[in-house]
Amino acid sequence: MPAWLRGLVPVLIAIAVLAVLQLVLGEFPFFVYLASIVGVNVILAVSLNIVNGMTGQFSIGHAGFMAVGAYTAGKLSLLLKDVAIAGLPTMVSDQVQFVGTLLAGGVAAALCGFIVGLPSLRLRGDYLAIVTLGFGEIIRVIVQNLDMFGRALGLSGIPQTSSFFAVWFCVFLVVLVARRIVGSTHGRSLWAIREDEVAAEAMGVNTTGYKVRAFVISSFFAGVAGGLFAHFVPIINPGSFTFVKSIEVVVMVVLGGLGSTTGAIVAAIFLTLLPEALRTLFLQLGGLGAGASLAQKVDQIRMPVYGMLLVILMLVRPQGLFGTREVWDVLPRWWPGARKGIT
Amino acid sequence: MSGALLQAAGVGIEFGGLRALHAFDLEIRQGDLKGLIGPNGAGKTTAFNLLTGVYVPTHGEIRVCGERVNGRQPHQINHLGLARTFQNIRLFRALTALDNVRVACLSDETPLFSRSRIDELRRRSAGRSPVAGAMDALNNYVDWWRALLLTPGFQEEEQEITRRAEELLKVMGLSQRRDEEARNLPYGEQRRLEIARALGTRPRVLLLDEPAAGMNTREKADLMVLIRQLRDQFELGILVIEHDMKLVMGICEDITVLDHGVTIASGAPERVRQDPKVIEAYLGDSYLAAHGMQVPPRSPTTETPAT
Repeated sequence: MPAWLRGLVPVLIAIAVLAVLQLVLGEFPFFVYLASIVGVNVILAVSLNIVNGMTGQFSIGHAGFMAVGAYTAGKLSLLLKDVAIAGLPTMVSDQVQFVGTLLAGGVAAALCGFIVGLPSLRLRGDYLAIVTLGFGEIIRVIVQNLDMFGRALGLSGIPQTSSFFAVWFCVFLVVLVARRIVGSTHGRSLWAIREDEVAAEAMGVNTTGYKVRAFVISSFFAGVAGGLFAHFVPIINPGSFTFVKSIEVVVMVVLGGLGSTTGAIVAAIFLTLLPEALRTLFLQLGGLGAGASLAQKVDQIRMPVYGMLLVILMLVRPQGLFGTREVWDVLPRWWPGARKGIT
Repeated sequence: MSGALLQAAGVGIEFGGLRALHAFDLEIRQGDLKGLIGPNGAGKTTAFNLLTGVYVPTHGEIRVCGERVNGRQPHQINHLGLARTFQNIRLFRALTALDNVRVACLSDETPLFSRSRIDELRRRSAGRSPVAGAMDALNNYVDWWRALLLTPGFQEEEQEITRRAEELLKVMGLSQRRDEEARNLPYGEQRRLEIARALGTRPRVLLLDEPAAGMNTREKADLMVLIRQLRDQFELGILVIEHDMKLVMGICEDITVLDHGVTIASGAPERVRQDPKVIEAYLGDSYLAAHGMQVPPRSPTTETPAT
């Protein structure tokens, strides 16, 4: 096997595995929908972890970047709805367009990340948090007031071209990127910034540059997540990208452990499925009548539950479930994959 | 060696109305081992921060390897060949000893444009060349992709970085601590790890801010040997801030004494030690008594009397 191909092996394996899963699971629409929602949240959490966890910059505007991606991709898909690429079957043409709009959404979000990051990443801690929070709200308010984006009603009728494969391949990509960054010079520079910015700068790390790059990569994937989201939910509106959404993602990252990619994945899956599981549980417990209203209540108390979870976590385990470690670092020693160290 | 590696001429800085450092002169050539001493608050660390670009001087000029660096970013100054340690240890605490050094071991290889070409452009435009900036950015962009795709060249570079970092750990006697988190190391080893990290950046001048603080007598003695050895092995110029007079007098060939931001004496250790102004401001009479020296008369005009 040529050496340059070795880096791509995981990608090929992932494609094969996901294709099989797609064939098997494609028949269960509810499962695919749930898996897509989980997948999008995993992408958001893992990408935010690159900024909040690895680089130690507290950003709470991730829903803003997601919105940029969702609206860019969604609007493009709507515009291209009746256009087919000549010479290709409709299905292939649709998928090509879908991938194109996803990329466009990601790039638009990355561009926003660059524009927001360049001036604001000179700020630290609370100040950066406020800027990113402001950015997220600005995006939402802009979208809410533009006819082009359907104002408060949002965009509907976006082609449902997303699939289990598409979402989880993007999940795979973001995880791969995060892991490869951690294992490289760049990742170590990011960790150094998180640990001690002054020392990192003195050791030749271009701290501002690295922070902006981390921010751009993170917002790119948030944009992609938004693009995916737009292609499997029936409607996107500003209500999906509020401050609450941003906080949800931050909670996932903190719960998993700032800096732990697998932690972010586990937390994202857990926190997405928790309300669903509770809803189903109540439905089965109480029969349809009482259950349905209970299910609504579960959705309403999700935020208090998040808040409580965070408080309990901060008290019991301030470093998050995994701290800065990954799942295989906390495996028992006899497990063959267990090992030590961050990178 | 023709030019000075590090040169400060009339450097000063004011914070508000406070003149923290005034008309500071310094020159370090390869093979030099100089000391910077003075009472607390004299401006020693301020001088370090000015030299390394943490603060921008309000007066004077600093040159590293012949290049004017006033107003440049600390990491750019570091790339020119100036590395430092910190008074209150600033390691990357959650990273292993090896990773601490690896962070500093940036690769010299660049994928698109050579480092020397970029540096040349920077030099010509006094550090503000958009073309050089763009080249740097492109290099970095390609480098990220190499990391993401795990290209063979990238893997080789990583191995090379790891090899260099391990070598530096060995030089500093930390090989057995390779995989331990920096925060778990004993104090003396943390200090040495900081030096190893600074060496990772391939400096030509090394600034050590109180390297012996918190060390016991034996560790201090080892450190003295080590500092000399580093200077010779890595062909460095070294500037040390230190309160331990035995260490400073023992290894430094030239000492600058600061008090209230003003240089009150500089020169060979024996001369500085007997300078009345230095004794009054820093050493104190008891120091002389302890070393069996005569207390000189208190008059600024008197020149160093013999013991």
